[in-house]
Amino acid sequence: MASCKATDAVFHVDPPPAGKKLREAFYCAHYIHSHIAHFYALAAPDFVMGPTSDPAQRNILGVISKVGLQIGGEVIKHRAYAQSIQASIAGKATHPVGGIPGGMSKPITEEQRTDFEEKAKSCVEFSKFSLKLFNDVVLANKDYLNLITGNIYTMKSYYMGLVDNNNKINFYDGEVRVIDPEGKEVYKFKPAQYLDYVAEHTEPWSYLKFPFLKKVGWKGFVEGKDSGIYRVSPLARLNVADGMATPLAQVEYDKLFKTLGGKPAHATLAFHWARLVELLYASERLLELSRDKEITDPKVRTIPTATPDEGVGIVEAPRGTLIHHYQTDKNGIVTKANLIVATAHNYPAMHMSIKKAAQGLIKKSKDVKEGLLNMVEMAFRAYDPCSACATHTLPGQMPLEVVIYNSRGEVIETLSQNLR
Amino acid sequence: MKTLILGLGNPILSDDGIGNRIAQELENRISNQDITVEETSMSGLSLLDLLVGYDKAIIVDAIQTANGKAGQIYRLTPEAFNDTRHASSPHDVNFATALELGHKIGMPMPGQIIIYAIEVADTSNFGEEFTPKVKKAIPRCVKMILDELNGNN
Repeated sequence: MASCKATDAVFHVDPPPAGKKLREAFYCAHYIHSHIAHFYALAAPDFVMGPTSDPAQRNILGVISKVGLQIGGEVIKHRAYAQSIQASIAGKATHPVGGIPGGMSKPITEEQRTDFEEKAKSCVEFSKFSLKLFNDVVLANKDYLNLITGNIYTMKSYYMGLVDNNNKINFYDGEVRVIDPEGKEVYKFKPAQYLDYVAEHTEPWSYLKFPFLKKVGWKGFVEGKDSGIYRVSPLARLNVADGMATPLAQVEYDKLFKTLGGKPAHATLAFHWARLVELLYASERLLELSRDKEITDPKVRTIPTATPDEGVGIVEAPRGTLIHHYQTDKNGIVTKANLIVATAHNYPAMHMSIKKAAQGLIKKSKDVKEGLLNMVEMAFRAYDPCSACATHTLPGQMPLEVVIYNSRGEVIETLSQNLR
Repeated sequence: MKTLILGLGNPILSDDGIGNRIAQELENRISNQDITVEETSMSGLSLLDLLVGYDKAIIVDAIQTANGKAGQIYRLTPEAFNDTRHASSPHDVNFATALELGHKIGMPMPGQIIIYAIEVADTSNFGEEFTPKVKKAIPRCVKMILDELNGNN
């Protein structure tokens, strides 16, 4: 979706309302299947089965066995609903082909619209159920709540996310808002201005870059207001926004911040909770859009007439802010591209979250068992990371050196591949 | 018997698209209305939506094993993937978990699933062509699957 918006900008063209609404409906459906998969397959096992439970059971099969087999059916059904809406709008759910410069390749029919409406209604109910499950299983368990709000999974950083004209969350469009660790708005900028606010630090030991707020500066891997490290994510979006644009999600938004002690919330494990609040918002917004009669307007594209040159598109991907920036020749062939994906924005913070969890959990003379290591991994998993997207490796062969030391600190073996 | 032939892969990632290509070749040769040929780039839970409602499924995909030689073809069953619950993607469950979930929640899963896996060499470079040994495996794998469909396997 970021590439659609970037190509709109490259061709200096603004899609008509129905084109924008179709894109947003497609994107809400994408959020629904992505957030359902992350919560039920990747996050819930840690909480429903327990963070130190048997890893053979700590997976979606264990979760379904514990909460009920019919819930598994509902998970599959609603993911399928969301993906069918994506395929219906844009040809395919994965690798969709509907987005083109100036809008969409085809309109939808009244029959499609009513199909979306029925599925969206069901998704709203399933989202409400998912939040109730989180409430009953996680929030009602004092140990889990303490884990979420405790220091080892907390990190004070800046936050970034898209907001609409009313400073409410918007996944598809708007301006980028940045707040400081105390919750004060420090920047609000249009996509084309992103290079004035974001810069990328490099380290010799990683081939993924470390974005930071340019005006604050890179101060190393440190928390707080003086460090330019910021986070994007479902919780970051809730932190930067003044609220949700749909009524049921707003109720859940208020509850989340009340429980976490106000805004901004710095609890990394609460990313999962925020993800479910967003699942409800995406379902409600999809329902709104499917009831909007304009969405079946046959005018879904503005034909570009300007010579293409350069453009930036920013959307909120399920994992966080996604930036695409293209330069092209006069034929629209890309000559330069810069992508900053959610996992890259979060990369500095991930290192710090993992380190803090490890330091808080691993103590001298305490056995380091699998369950404890899983609790360190939980600090990483909360970010829903996608390193493959973030590293831009071509041709994809990872340079790697592994040095093995014995207990006296002497090198006993060095293994390497693809080092230059 | 309602049968699905499902080619998996990314068609613009060199050898990774071998499942898609073999599915295309089979689609051109099969006219039996009980046999559906599809290709997809999806994985994990999304595969369940494609598999339900068939009596038999033949899945064709690329594979990379420790000592495999490019172009080798393996005929496998889902049990071959049962030794791990590790996610193959950071965003989804793996194939074995998805299948078990489908059975567990009572989805009408195929009674028989056969996997044809082609040992590949390059899944890192963008391209719509295959490396030479993998390309040579295409007619062999197509014949094996046609034989399977004709009950000659």
